[in-house]
Amino acid sequence: MRLSVDGASCMGHGRCYLMAPDLLTYDDEGYVTIRDRTIDVPDDHVEAAKDAEGTCPEQAITLIAE
Amino acid sequence: MTHTASHSGPVERELGGCPVMHRDFAPAQAAGCHWELADELRETSPVFFNTFAQGYWVFTRHDAVRDIYKTPELFSSESITPWQPDPIYRFVPTQIDAPDHIKYRRIVNPWFSPRAIDEAEARMRSLCRRLVEDVAPTGGCNFVAEFGLRFPTEAFLSVAGIDPSDADLFVPWVEDFFGGFSGDPDGLEPMAKALDGIREYWVAALDERRGEPAPRDGDLASHLLHSTFDDRPLADAELLDMLTVLVLAGLDTTRATLGYMFRHLATHPEHRRRLIDEPELIPSAVEEALRFYTIIFGDGRKVTRDTEFHGVQLKQGDMVYALVSGANRDPRAYEQAGEFVLDRKRNHHMGFANGPHRCLGAHLARRELQLAVEEWLRVIPDFHIAADEELAERGGGAMMTLVNLPLAWEVGS
Repeated sequence: MRLSVDGASCMGHGRCYLMAPDLLTYDDEGYVTIRDRTIDVPDDHVEAAKDAEGTCPEQAITLIAE
Repeated sequence: MTHTASHSGPVERELGGCPVMHRDFAPAQAAGCHWELADELRETSPVFFNTFAQGYWVFTRHDAVRDIYKTPELFSSESITPWQPDPIYRFVPTQIDAPDHIKYRRIVNPWFSPRAIDEAEARMRSLCRRLVEDVAPTGGCNFVAEFGLRFPTEAFLSVAGIDPSDADLFVPWVEDFFGGFSGDPDGLEPMAKALDGIREYWVAALDERRGEPAPRDGDLASHLLHSTFDDRPLADAELLDMLTVLVLAGLDTTRATLGYMFRHLATHPEHRRRLIDEPELIPSAVEEALRFYTIIFGDGRKVTRDTEFHGVQLKQGDMVYALVSGANRDPRAYEQAGEFVLDRKRNHHMGFANGPHRCLGAHLARRELQLAVEEWLRVIPDFHIAADEELAERGGGAMMTLVNLPLAWEVGS
């Protein structure tokens, strides 16, 4: 599974990196660091990735099944 | 009751069958009434036209509220109060649109980022602990007037690099300001004096820091003096506006949320017990409080061009009211929407608003709420509401907050 963040939609709520702290982290302003990027989700982080996607108030996170 | 009718009253425009109401949202009512009203409006119609003031649209459901927030090019923040489309005040950056808005936000974002809050956490925790330990032996307090306003004020001042003892000045200013802001005519004069007090405080703080060669470490006012906007220094009016807005936006709001959260804990011993046994649930309980007890009744925006939106025809200059308190309880968006689910997962609430104007202080507020619950339950695990009469809340004109919250507990020997 892969996870991507739409940078224009991300408003720095900070909910995703609280849900998936081993997968996502924040920059100096509080935005997730992987805006407009796609990362691989290791199998043991899939649940956390789904929590991050479902928690984002801006629906900026998309999960892509492989 | 909500009075609704189709095409009745003084509205002189084509509403396309949209139901009409005439309602002042400001007066104080019994605690919880505003959420009941929001639920009723949302389930009655996705949109109303309210003929109060100059008239404005009220969107009641999750998807429309979300779309208003995420389309700032269509919904301007020039006015955020739907019954006042041309306000005489201008909050910076709250009422600034693109492209300038993000420039202001980038100046202050780092001060309220998770990293900054992590660094401030130990200080905030010790402030919180001292306040709880001071009040514990007394066996009771008026929570919203005492701890509920004192703690966010001291925490904010600490993050801004100001001596937290200046909370003695800020607490009465914030009380007086929001006493008038909520619509009480007797409160207007104290409100104006309080605003003068806050502005004079910042004028003096800025004067003291002006002309220094480098910004003082950890000092927000000093940092702003050294910040630039499009390669020019911030003007005095901008500096004052920004600092004043931070005080007005950050203190009463957190107090209000603390009040509803502690009212909930006072009346739900099973939730208190669970948070004591499983403190790792405190963050999700805080998010649920922000969803279920959203203190912003609705958020106003001004329409920038004629458009069709969620089934109605909006005209340029129209005001809309996004009923976020109801949207956060919309069963179309949340399972068990009408219940406080302590361990709710995937809680995508809009309690801090959405879009570019997402609450700047969200990370700070959330941490303050978590610290307050942790530290309070550690010292005062059992408490109840010590009032015979029903609790009252200030109206949805600005934001909901409990007028009083008398709590009591047994004091150990």
